[in-house]
Amino acid sequence: MIETFFVLIGIGVVLSFIRILLGPTSSDRVAALDTMNVMLIGTITVIALVLKRGIYLDIALVYGLLSYLETVVISRYLEGRK
Amino acid sequence: MMNYLIILAGAMMIIAAVFAVEAKKILDAVIAMSVVSLVSVFLFIAMRAPDVAITEASVGAGLVTAVFLVSLFKMKGGDEQ
Repeated sequence: MIETFFVLIGIGVVLSFIRILLGPTSSDRVAALDTMNVMLIGTITVIALVLKRGIYLDIALVYGLLSYLETVVISRYLEGRK
Repeated sequence: MMNYLIILAGAMMIIAAVFAVEAKKILDAVIAMSVVSLVSVFLFIAMRAPDVAITEASVGAGLVTAVFLVSLFKMKGGDEQ
């Protein structure tokens, strides 16, 4: 069950990383980066479930907040640049 | 199973670092550096260091990107080179 999750997450991360490497515009790269952020938050939560340690959920919380800030800042830069 | 994921994460970190150096636009370099920080958060978690992972998440995802993009806002010459 856990192996299935990790295989699917690995496929998704590799596809998003390919989009970051050869995306034509910067908006594609921002969207792929946000996708990778969401997949990382899910992976941290599943690792907290596997290891049965509650402190990993704090990392997921902090990272979710800050990755949202990051996406908003990059999007505002892309919007204001013309 | 975890070992293959760690090898994949390390390879992705190296490729993203090389891309951040070689990118034409500064915004793409900032995005690739954010990918390096993201992968390093996963590697710290895989090495069972949650406190270092919290610090790396707050510095790498929040502070560095915000400071770089605010300084890009202040710059006049645009982001070419």
